[in-house]
Amino acid sequence: MRQTHDSSVPETIPEKSGNGFWALAWLRFRDDRVGVVSIIFVAAFFIIVFLSALGAVASDWNKEVGIHDAPPDLWGLLTPVPPPEAMGNAAQRVAQTIKTAQHGEALLPSTVVDPLAETLAQLQGERMEGAFPESRVVDPLAETLRELGAEGMVLSAVEEKNAAKRTSLPFGGDRWGRDVLTKTIKGSQISITVGLSAALLATLLGTLLGALAGYYGGRTDDVLNWAYSVFNAIPYLLLILAVAAVLQQRGVMTVILILGLTGWTGVFRLIRAEYLKHRGREYVQAARAFGVPDRRILFLHILPNVSHVALVKVSLLAVGFIKAEVILSFLGFGVAVDEVSWGSMLNDAYQELILGRWWELAAAGGAMALFVTVFSLLTDAMRDALDPKIRETS
Amino acid sequence: MTAYIIRRLLQMIPTMLGVVLLLFVLFNWVGGDPAYILAGKVFSEAQIANIRYQLGIDRPAYVQIGIFLKQIITADFGASWSTQEPVSDILKTRLGPSLTVLLPLLVLGTLLAIALSLVVARFRRSLTDRMVMIACTVGMSISILVYIIIFQYVFAYRLAWFPIQGWSDSLWTNLTTFAALPILIGLCVGLAPDLRLFRSFMLDEVEQDYVRTARAKGLTEKRILWIHVLRNASIPIVTYVMAALPGLLVGALLIERFFSIPGIGREVLLAVERSDFPVIKAITVYVAIATMFANLAADLIYKAVDPRVELK
Amino acid sequence: MLRLDCMKKTVLRLRVLWIILWGVLSCFSTVAVCASVKTIRTTFPAAETGFDPVRVTDVYSNTVNEAIFERLLTYDYLARPARLTPMTAEAMPEITDDGKTYTFKIRPGIRFYPDPAFGGKPRELIAADYIYSFKRMFDPATRSQWTFMIEGKIIGLDALAEAAQKTGAFDYDTDVEGLKALDRYTLQIRLREPDYNFSYIVAHTPFAAVAREVVEKYGENTMAHPVGTGPYILKQWTRGTRIILEKNPEYRGMVWDFAANEEGDEELIRTMQGKRLPLIDRVEISIIEEEQSAWLAFKRNELDFNGVGSFRAEVFDGKSELKPEWRAQNVKAIRAIDPELTYMFFNFRDPTVGGFEKEKLALRRAIIMAYDREEEINVIRKGQAILATMPIPVGVVGHDSRYKPLNTYNPALANKLLDAFSFKKGKDGFRTMPDGSPLLLKYASGTTTLERQFNELRKKSMDVIGVRIEFQPGKFADHIKAAKACQLQMWSSGWVADYPDGDNFMQLLYGGNIGQSNNACYNSKAFDAFYEAARKLPDSPERNHLFLEMTRQMEVDGAWALGVSRERNMLIRPWVLGFKKHPILNATWLYLDIDPEKAP
Repeated sequence: MRQTHDSSVPETIPEKSGNGFWALAWLRFRDDRVGVVSIIFVAAFFIIVFLSALGAVASDWNKEVGIHDAPPDLWGLLTPVPPPEAMGNAAQRVAQTIKTAQHGEALLPSTVVDPLAETLAQLQGERMEGAFPESRVVDPLAETLRELGAEGMVLSAVEEKNAAKRTSLPFGGDRWGRDVLTKTIKGSQISITVGLSAALLATLLGTLLGALAGYYGGRTDDVLNWAYSVFNAIPYLLLILAVAAVLQQRGVMTVILILGLTGWTGVFRLIRAEYLKHRGREYVQAARAFGVPDRRILFLHILPNVSHVALVKVSLLAVGFIKAEVILSFLGFGVAVDEVSWGSMLNDAYQELILGRWWELAAAGGAMALFVTVFSLLTDAMRDALDPKIRETS
Repeated sequence: MTAYIIRRLLQMIPTMLGVVLLLFVLFNWVGGDPAYILAGKVFSEAQIANIRYQLGIDRPAYVQIGIFLKQIITADFGASWSTQEPVSDILKTRLGPSLTVLLPLLVLGTLLAIALSLVVARFRRSLTDRMVMIACTVGMSISILVYIIIFQYVFAYRLAWFPIQGWSDSLWTNLTTFAALPILIGLCVGLAPDLRLFRSFMLDEVEQDYVRTARAKGLTEKRILWIHVLRNASIPIVTYVMAALPGLLVGALLIERFFSIPGIGREVLLAVERSDFPVIKAITVYVAIATMFANLAADLIYKAVDPRVELK
Repeated sequence: MLRLDCMKKTVLRLRVLWIILWGVLSCFSTVAVCASVKTIRTTFPAAETGFDPVRVTDVYSNTVNEAIFERLLTYDYLARPARLTPMTAEAMPEITDDGKTYTFKIRPGIRFYPDPAFGGKPRELIAADYIYSFKRMFDPATRSQWTFMIEGKIIGLDALAEAAQKTGAFDYDTDVEGLKALDRYTLQIRLREPDYNFSYIVAHTPFAAVAREVVEKYGENTMAHPVGTGPYILKQWTRGTRIILEKNPEYRGMVWDFAANEEGDEELIRTMQGKRLPLIDRVEISIIEEEQSAWLAFKRNELDFNGVGSFRAEVFDGKSELKPEWRAQNVKAIRAIDPELTYMFFNFRDPTVGGFEKEKLALRRAIIMAYDREEEINVIRKGQAILATMPIPVGVVGHDSRYKPLNTYNPALANKLLDAFSFKKGKDGFRTMPDGSPLLLKYASGTTTLERQFNELRKKSMDVIGVRIEFQPGKFADHIKAAKACQLQMWSSGWVADYPDGDNFMQLLYGGNIGQSNNACYNSKAFDAFYEAARKLPDSPERNHLFLEMTRQMEVDGAWALGVSRERNMLIRPWVLGFKKHPILNATWLYLDIDPEKAP
């Protein structure tokens, strides 16, 4: 889990010259074929994320459409292997246990019987005789339950549950029979959202603090630098565990906060250095001389000139955070139970590989690898385009 | 220079105080109450009170912080709350296995990455460079969890090239047998990002004037790269590797768990699970000190190599 | 297996790739030194803490202690349900005074391992050692978690403990009326109240004999210096990684002599009867936290034993029989139901789910009826568990397989029940309380992947009856603290029998144990009356009847949703002889042998 994103940004980026900078960068970017291809892929992912967030796709990922561990058929390309029979047998054994334990020779466990009648049967029945002859326990609900049960409602849970479930799915099903394809789409939405939001949060935090420290210097710088070195000195893993302990709730928001609050230090260092440099520049001195308030200088004058650093940093952090989410899930600090992410899928699926159930691991791992690859390539292209120094080399 | 070092050392004191304070706050008001972990299945309030008294966590916060500071100064963190093992022993015994995996990994990984980065720097902007870079990007986009699962299954179980898991007392056996697969996985996970980073260091150097001069003098490209560029690029590389080590010590957690390596990462997780404050305190303090000194050393190396760098 | 320090060819082969990487060939320097040592290689899934009987809190450390230290009594290896048998005592205790006085005769000549604490000489075990060991439970310095088992039971011992709380030092030299050595080998224990379960308590591993000299010599580090009279000694210990036990040369030995009790016992008897124990020279325990790593290690023959766990589908076919690949290896599968149960409890003092009002009863019972335990067993537990029908699990005295539970899985009925008590569904499909206020269940949970699967199932089950549920993940310590203070709304828990008697389970529901073991804070007068009556009775039909009444009362009140008892599926390599899963004992290496013919 080496953190590499911190140091991979060139430390010195020449000052930009006005509006032409972004236009020029775009021109450079357009020439980068890998960059263009990757941006198409990333855009495709973002469309999926967007549709999924709107609920247009994968909103029913939680629905159990297939049988447990339904194998993949890739729309008919694969011949699905029937699921292991051991489970089915286990179900039989369970049913057997229930039968002997609860109903003697009676039917399925879920067949509703008049509860009072059952109690009476226990009190008077032959099987229970001797074991539980006269219970002194009064059931205040007995009357109600008898009325409810007396409607003759019959429910066969096992049959109903298994009715109309598909025996194979395009990408297979998970342990509950949920479609791995929709789950992966939903997971992509969550993971990408988490990665980007956390990166945004960390960058905002780091930029704000870095700007203050770099621009004001003095006491402010001392205090912020101190906070930076304290955060930097505590082992990352412990910091994460501690922040996770503070944020008791589980969910997407928590994961974003954990990653964002612990990941700002790298951005801080970079932005602080940038502000330190710009502080002495003429345009800043001039603005000061005109009595422009500090707030405006900080965020309207200097910030646009360092924003490309922040932009590259956001995308580098996003990649790191998407991968970190997997580790967080492994440690039990992932998304909530009714949410799904690549991390939660990988952690659910990793033990299934030995049992021959590779599809969930493959789907989540593959989607993640594809996105992280294209996103990293895009980041590279973006950095090359934004950083004129590297351009000179080619 | 001496004055600079002294100033930097003095600056470590407030940082350390900050670490102490943050750690204390996090694990006292936020972490699980250790008394309830140690109390077992069934207990009474009196037993909880007794455990608190025994551990000294019923004392006022300032007294506890005072004790903590004294522990840092004397480097004696007492004994683990749950196992009675002296904390100094814990560190001694867990550091070895961690380093057995990490040092070879760092050395091999760095050397391999340097060699490869020189090769791609030689062919910079060519198709080869591009392909290698894309391959690296793909390699680093796969989660470490997936690497571990698949490598353990394929190389240890299916092909039986390595043992599944385990650890011995002999350094040699560990290096050749038990640490081998973890190191291999570490290489796969770490090589790609290292290579990308080192390549950018190399490219930075390739642009420098001295390279042009050397070329003008008629030196071969190979010689320029392997001698001149490498010498200069090695500074950021060494500092980067040094700065990465303290974090890696704690971070190799997943590998340690899957391969049953008794390292620091597993110990941290275990200590957090058990709310074993003495162990957490000691590991945090030592890692913090290691981090601070690594940073200082990195700055000093920069200074030593490039006198233009201003030490502030 | 039969091996020690033999470098194997396979190891060499697997290193080939690595050697190339290293460029070193010194592997061949490892000369094979083989000695014929009977070794068992097994694994723990979690790290141990140490080996001081009264201080240990986890089952794995306890397992090792079981092999090193000896109790007055132990359990018969084959008898089911588990039956007590003498260990260091010559015979079962003489119980007089209507169950208030227990007299044990200790077998003369039993010796502690010659530790430096005894000047390197063996030292004989005497009655005073047990008195000392029992007193240690109450020493504030040991922070023993087992005190609850004898708290308030032995005359005079609690007073001594109170005095120690005040002075800060426990006085071991003060005589306690209830703990007396009548002579060198005779121990008399006198109880405040009649208690027919006390024999079970002294058979529990934390009540083993330790020597005072050893404890005093090693002071604050007794966890690392176990010195006992049992069949094994701690030879080597790499914390959290490896525990190696070796035969104790001072151990008096015993003869394998047990009577057949169940089907399959005859074969064990045929192979083992009359053998002089211990036969296993060495026990190597590896701590492997990842289940997958342990499983692959077993498959690769790096372990002699392993649980099947999540990988059941790899082992058994559709008919629950071993798959051919395993049969070809002559691997034996052992199945046993653990004397334990899981349960989900409601906090009776909680404003939402607590209380004895009729609608609260209905709410709790509807929740219980909605939870799909069958899915839990099939999907999460991979078919390796049975439904619990009583708070007393199978294999524990007091369990009655004829009892029919009241709150069985029935989501349709649960829905109707909630409708009947006007827990109305809102527009969003979720129900509100009868007074219109929101209904939200707050379920305490852990952070493991397994816990996540359970939460998925709980959420699914509650969705069916339109009850909103939220999970509150946190540390175990925080949850247990909140539970003891009756501030936790719902949580799931499990209980493994300390001893195979129903009382050990029913006490979890007794009102007098609120703040201690009764995490539901269930305070039913009716239940308590049954419980108090049962506690005064020895094992008898009357007591069993009271257990049934308690069960019914608990179900009517909806205090617990009963969970499951886990089924242990173990695989054993063919060269391990004499193994049978014991419900209480964990360290049964003493009763095993290795067949050198079959060993690799």
